[in-house]
Amino acid sequence: MQSVACPTCGAEVVFRSPALPVRVCDYCRTLVVRYNQDAQGQVTENGGEAAVLPFDISPIQIGTEGNCFDQDFQIIGRVRWAWDDGAWNEWLMLLADGSHAWLGEAMGQFMALREVELTGSLAQVIRRLMNDTPVKPGESGNIAGQSYEVADIRTVRCIGCEGELPFTAPVGWDALSVDFRNRDGRCASFQKDRHGPSLYVGHHMNLASLQPRHLRQLPGWSLPAYG
Amino acid sequence: MAEEGSVRSLSCPACGGTIAMRAAGYTVTLACEYCGTLIDATDPAARIITRYNEIQASLAIPLGTRGTLRGVEWEVIGWLQRSDGWVIWDEYLLFNPYAGYRWLIAQNGQWSLGTMLTSAPQRDGPDQIVGSRRFTPFYGGNTARVMRVAGEFYWRVKPGEEVRASDFVRPGFMLSLEQDDREKSWTISELLTGREIRAAFDVDPPPVWIPGMTPLAHQPSPYVRRIKGWWPIAALSFVVLLVLLSLFGRTMQPQTFSLSATPDGPTVTQTFGPIVLPLGKQAMTVEAFTPSVEQGWVDIDISFVNRKTQDSYDAYALNERYSGRDSDGYWSEGARSQTLKVASLPAGTYDLVVDAQAHHWGSSGNWAFDASSATYKAEGLLPIEVNLMVARGARFATNFWLALLMILVPPLLMLILHIMFENARLAQKDGSSADADDWLQGMQSP
Repeated sequence: MQSVACPTCGAEVVFRSPALPVRVCDYCRTLVVRYNQDAQGQVTENGGEAAVLPFDISPIQIGTEGNCFDQDFQIIGRVRWAWDDGAWNEWLMLLADGSHAWLGEAMGQFMALREVELTGSLAQVIRRLMNDTPVKPGESGNIAGQSYEVADIRTVRCIGCEGELPFTAPVGWDALSVDFRNRDGRCASFQKDRHGPSLYVGHHMNLASLQPRHLRQLPGWSLPAYG
Repeated sequence: MAEEGSVRSLSCPACGGTIAMRAAGYTVTLACEYCGTLIDATDPAARIITRYNEIQASLAIPLGTRGTLRGVEWEVIGWLQRSDGWVIWDEYLLFNPYAGYRWLIAQNGQWSLGTMLTSAPQRDGPDQIVGSRRFTPFYGGNTARVMRVAGEFYWRVKPGEEVRASDFVRPGFMLSLEQDDREKSWTISELLTGREIRAAFDVDPPPVWIPGMTPLAHQPSPYVRRIKGWWPIAALSFVVLLVLLSLFGRTMQPQTFSLSATPDGPTVTQTFGPIVLPLGKQAMTVEAFTPSVEQGWVDIDISFVNRKTQDSYDAYALNERYSGRDSDGYWSEGARSQTLKVASLPAGTYDLVVDAQAHHWGSSGNWAFDASSATYKAEGLLPIEVNLMVARGARFATNFWLALLMILVPPLLMLILHIMFENARLAQKDGSSADADDWLQGMQSP
């Protein structure tokens, strides 16, 4: 855990993950970017401002803990994405081994996703997505040894973020997001934005199977027994 | 109704009515429950998508109602009325922030709980398999159209929206595929018992099926449970029947009498007794055995005559025996023994009056002309002994079969009703009409 002063308001900004470069200041919503992590300490920079997240009724919050990919995790950040017909959250999980993964949350269902490298022999459908060639729902291809089908293709826009993040996510940042799924509950997601393409694989989960603790207490609702 | 904090309220931009948003962040479309106007919930300004001025139906479960189903508390946040052109059904969207969404589907007063699948089922020929459950195709290629809508939804719903729907069923469960040009989604719905849905949302109990009603495609036959539940009762009844028969059906205190009659001789009448019957309504068994009858017959008339009242209870036996040789060899026919049963003798002291007359048939023996009857009669034949064994009690086989029939009638009746139910259910199915295989399939446990 490292603590720096926010370059805008001077408040203490705590980085829980040693590897992540971006943290949204809890007070003034400045995107605090750190780099040059040498012995001298931290150089921080104001990376812009993150929008206030609109109210939502998600059961997850920063600080929620649980178990995923056979490891304990803690939620340390969130990006909220919107498209023409809705919005969803992507929660950043800091896993026990120090790596991070995403917990996508939409329609009360969850997708646990970990980034895989876009190298080696890639499915044709992935190569076409990387080259900005249009693909259609229902097209299939192999990702990390499993056969997947394209479930949907959307142009998404970041509408807010909080906590620690692996990248700056300014409001209005556009990305192409393609979801894949297969028959036994696995899923994959391809994203292409101004930083370039990235690919994530994982599986569908429900909240109970994450064995969560410190869920968000929502007024009027009782926390489930496992929460 | 949830407390302040989880619910966002806004006024309908069309009619000004106060409407609640219960799944903020997930909800995309909000349909005003008063005027039906569709509002874009993703727009902070709550823009009108389509203006309607329709008074909404009064819903079986009002929006905002909470109920606990299968241990999870759900809030009803949306309502859709859909139709495939034949039938109309209602779908209520249930929400719990920790458990996600479910559907409560109401048709013909029956309620099902629908859960969306995150992965596609496994295909096996025409069937679909989810986990260990096999679903057989029921109808395919229907178009389900949204008629009316109220409340909030996680997608852009609007009246007139259509999806192609195919249904697969097994007793108690339906697997539905809905698809449009953008996506395919699979939902499993499970029929809820009247008790479950009443306990959760206090709706009217589902109607009991009577012949003539159309069951739902996945409605399990109500008779299966009863037929299956009847077998232990039937087995128990059968055991009780056997016990009763062995207790009360056995014969007691046998008495034996005998007399003899000469073939073609005169009728022999003899009275035996006394036979004391201490119990009222007593059945009697009389076994009449003529071991030596050959090429002839013996008419045996018996009467139990009450010594006090002179009431007479009669029975008749014909013992006969013929044999010979023909091209097929030796043959014989006829019975030398008969068991007679006399039911319901009042208590009292009886005499047994027996009339026996023996006849001879055939060419053996000496024949003499009998002037009185103008026929030839055999002479010099040995008298035929008639042995009678009289005992109290009797086993009436007809009683046994009657009791067995009564044990079997209820399950048979229920089987017929089950077949009627399954035929009515399967009449809606694509393809051939129902047969015995379908009836058996309808017997499967959920």
